[in-house]
Amino acid sequence: MNVDITDLTRRFGRTQAVAGVSLQAGAGVFGLLGPNGAGKTSLLRMMATVLPPTSGRMRLLDRDPRSYAPRREIRRRLGYLPQNLGYYPGFTVAEFVEYFALLKDIPPGQVARAVAASIEHVDLGDKARTKLRTLSGGMLRRVGIAQAIVNGPELLLLDEPTAGLDPEQRVSFRALLRDLGQRATVIVSTHLVEDVGAACTEVALMDAGKIVFHGTPDELTARGEGSGAAGDAPLERGYSAVLAAARSVTAARS
Amino acid sequence: MSDMNAGLPPGASAPWATAPPDVDLGRVWTGVAAQVWRRDPGRVERLAGRLLRSPGLARALVATPSLLLGWIIATAVVLAVGVVATLGTGTPYVALCAPALAAAGIAYAYGPGIDPAFELSRTMAVGDRMVLLVRTLAVFGLNAALGLAASAASGVAAALTFGWLVPMTAACAIALAAATLARSANVGVAAGIAGWVIMLLAGRATLGQYTAAITDAALVFPYLLFAACCCAVALFASRISRGTS
Amino acid sequence: MDDDGLVARVAAGDDTALRELFSRHAPWLAARLRAVLPAAEVEDVLQETFLAVWRGAGRYRPAGAAGGWLWGIARRQAALLLRRRGPAAAGLPDVVTAGGREAGDPAEVALARADLAAAVAALGPPGAPDREVWRLLYEEDRPVAEVAVLLGVPPGTVKSRAHRARRLLRAALRGGAAAEGGSR
Repeated sequence: MNVDITDLTRRFGRTQAVAGVSLQAGAGVFGLLGPNGAGKTSLLRMMATVLPPTSGRMRLLDRDPRSYAPRREIRRRLGYLPQNLGYYPGFTVAEFVEYFALLKDIPPGQVARAVAASIEHVDLGDKARTKLRTLSGGMLRRVGIAQAIVNGPELLLLDEPTAGLDPEQRVSFRALLRDLGQRATVIVSTHLVEDVGAACTEVALMDAGKIVFHGTPDELTARGEGSGAAGDAPLERGYSAVLAAARSVTAARS
Repeated sequence: MSDMNAGLPPGASAPWATAPPDVDLGRVWTGVAAQVWRRDPGRVERLAGRLLRSPGLARALVATPSLLLGWIIATAVVLAVGVVATLGTGTPYVALCAPALAAAGIAYAYGPGIDPAFELSRTMAVGDRMVLLVRTLAVFGLNAALGLAASAASGVAAALTFGWLVPMTAACAIALAAATLARSANVGVAAGIAGWVIMLLAGRATLGQYTAAITDAALVFPYLLFAACCCAVALFASRISRGTS
Repeated sequence: MDDDGLVARVAAGDDTALRELFSRHAPWLAARLRAVLPAAEVEDVLQETFLAVWRGAGRYRPAGAAGGWLWGIARRQAALLLRRRGPAAAGLPDVVTAGGREAGDPAEVALARADLAAAVAALGPPGAPDREVWRLLYEEDRPVAEVAVLLGVPPGTVKSRAHRARRLLRAALRGGAAAEGGSR
């Protein structure tokens, strides 16, 4: 198990962004779906060791991130793509990826090759020495993915990775996810249901800080059948059905 | 994603020129690209890497905005002008300006205000607190060295040659705290300069001259205490990450 | 953009031009080297070849013969590698000794085989008339009459094709076993 979380919560002041999440994930592609404000980004941030949890137990890559040395080890094996990744306009693609490769403690002798491989992996080989300020939004997103995978991470956390990618690039991206999911735990947070559903082996749906569904994409689709829920595609209908059910339960309780 | 092993170059008419299946051209190109795209660290960075025992930390240090060559040259020029002015008029401009210059340098050294990829930096194995420490020390040290050189060159009294180091510490500290709290480098610069100007004016008002803020020995302990508090604030502010889901 | 233009761009420091050169030429260079070396060594030689291209593109004089220039570099790198690692690295089961002369430097001999194979490729694709004649007459050592029967053409035609093939091969070997393919 690369990710082992029990009853994790996170509060900001009076808001509970994450209200008791339990999750175990091994190798494979794990989709984290849910509407905006559901708590996905906070959960991802906690797994990325950016945000400390308010309560609950978390073990990442078999280590406890609360202590300095294990946390540093986790970070060496971690790849993270935040929802809003700023970039350094004057850096080239290669310089940007190399900067974070060095910060991830990749030994200097291996950096050049790792950087080249990750840039080629996201199909930016002909832009390696161009400055970031000249790139489009989709290309910048791919640069972000490149820095996330440069250290061959065992735990890869991607927050809205397909923003700005055109359909053809999304197809390549799904192939990349499947490839990475063979050795690593890849957790993809997105509000675009169909986008990721095809590449994921497991899917969790979050709403209001809790996980309201956890299973395979097929099981999610099954929840949508015959329920008359809104959606143009099978996974979307399952998504809507589960959300509607969860919200009616909450409404009934209060 | 791109298939370097596709074999046929466009327009080729030679089907027997396809690459052999057991040769991985993708791997070959990665090896070539690694050498073509690599960046040479340069002497300063290599030395820093050995001293700090971390090439990543050295890279973060060398990339500090207020340690870039342009910034250093600008600081040196301002101080040189100060030296000339001091020699000409007798007012110790270097001692009066150095703290403000250093505060600006500190505000532009680290933090969400000047680092667009700040959230990502906080997930790195090279911890961001280490980067904060190394960068602020380097900027402070460099500004102190430049300031001392300029101060010595302008030939003023010993108290004025060294005395501004302590106020400079306080000015830098408040700049850092403000920049980290407000998540803006500009706020940090403003706070540092404003704080320093206020001290100068207060010195003028109470003791009759601007340089009182530098030479008054009774101020040393308060300055250092203030600096320590600001550093604590900066450390605390860099622990919490705000934001909702 | 043609190859000469690409090499000029590489000399000016354009890495995307190098990438394009690689995607155009690495496949056939790999194939030609593979005839002489095992796969792992082919990869090493190719890598060194294109790094040498990156560093030395300024020395290329545009003459439409970029393929030959590239092969020359690859050949040198292969020879260097074979000398460093010993002839066993060539992985060849036998070494060609040409009519009474000494085998000489195994590295050179191995590469000479590759040069010859490339020159033969200049005769046309497998199955082309000139190439078939070459194969039957010289590689399989059949008499002219038999070749004529096999190809279904008069012996005179066989002889004139053989004459043309020898002429083409001499030109190709003199020209340093240049470009990929050869059919026009």
